[in-house]
Amino acid sequence: MVLLENDSFLTELTRLFQKCRTSGSVYITLKKYDGRTKPVPRKGNPDTFEPSDNKCLLRATDGKRKISTVAYSNLLRAHMDGLKKKDKKSKSKKTKATQ
Amino acid sequence: MPYYQSWEEFSRAAEKLYLTDPMKVRVVLKYRHCDGNLCMKVTDDAVCLQYKTDQAQDVKKIEKLQGKLMRVMVSKETRSMAMETD
Repeated sequence: MVLLENDSFLTELTRLFQKCRTSGSVYITLKKYDGRTKPVPRKGNPDTFEPSDNKCLLRATDGKRKISTVAYSNLLRAHMDGLKKKDKKSKSKKTKATQ
Repeated sequence: MPYYQSWEEFSRAAEKLYLTDPMKVRVVLKYRHCDGNLCMKVTDDAVCLQYKTDQAQDVKKIEKLQGKLMRVMVSKETRSMAMETD
């Protein structure tokens, strides 16, 4: 799993989308992240770190390659914009199909 | 694992689920360009909510919901940390 900076993550994500245009899926996962770098110990001293509250983990994969990044509050808009442009462009053939 | 038929219901259930335990809940998006569909899943590994669509108009809704959940996830401190902006 490759951990990237936000910009590289966006670039790689775009590349993932382009690669999967003819076949395959792109999976994107989003989860709240509190900054812990060690697993929670079963016993002993848990919580010897201060949880931080303003981050989330973003992961993307095409089934083979995995990339990830930690997003802070101000970068969310950047991510969503990157995603939106890709989706709108590529889904234009299926606009309002039914009804 | 049922797929919700109504976006409204899915969206409401998703937010509610997230609020029950923010650390446990994750959001998964699966996009298939070749089939032309997008599926959103919100789960805490006990309850699983899913919504599927092939309509471009829903992309925006899904995106907004995801943006909203993201914002809530990072909401405690809105000032950016020093690292990433430089």
